[in-house]
Amino acid sequence: MSEQRRDVLQMLAEGKISADEAEQLIAALDRDQPAAVSDVDTRPRARPKYLRVVVNVPDTDDDGPARVNVRVPLQLLRAGVRLASLIPPQAVERANDELRRSGVPIDLSQLKPEQLEELIEHLGDMTVEVDQPDAKVHVFCE
Amino acid sequence: MMPQLITISIRPPQHKAFRLWVPLLPLLLVLSPVLVIALIAGVVACIGYRINPGRALWTAWRLLCGLRGTRVDVEHGRTAVLVAIR
Repeated sequence: MSEQRRDVLQMLAEGKISADEAEQLIAALDRDQPAAVSDVDTRPRARPKYLRVVVNVPDTDDDGPARVNVRVPLQLLRAGVRLASLIPPQAVERANDELRRSGVPIDLSQLKPEQLEELIEHLGDMTVEVDQPDAKVHVFCE
Repeated sequence: MMPQLITISIRPPQHKAFRLWVPLLPLLLVLSPVLVIALIAGVVACIGYRINPGRALWTAWRLLCGLRGTRVDVEHGRTAVLVAIR
């Protein structure tokens, strides 16, 4: 039983409303319920497959406009992040030292492939748009 | 599944465009003697750097398979380059 229906019955029991009014309120709740459910899109979202980078540069130097259109499969990114687990321990230590010296205290050995994979999963929600007079850049997943 | 075909299309500004289709499987078969040597060198390097060679080979295979669907299309004026991996 929903909270609102319980409230209506409670008001009826306390004598705040009549039986007819309670019936009307419950009928109104029944009418609203299916509409509320249908408002929520329950279909599963299609998983993005590709990372797209589109760059458009208008004709500024009489060479004609430039256009770059790159499509990278997310599967390739997933395989790429697994490379991180293959970095030799000595190289990780040296990279950590260099990062610390540059003021970026990140421990690369703490980066787990699962975390990076989760990061890629959420790339689907990402859209980057840069709109400048001399160039337009659009990065998104599809 | 590994990629089957690489398409390279180049359109120079003053010349006629040409398109090249490279079937990957026959190419790998032709290059197989070189690939075997590269594989052995890779395994030796992995052992030298204390990396699991099986894991490294699996990752390299996944990278190769992940290339399927890659497309790079660059146009500048009358010049255009397209690389598509299918």
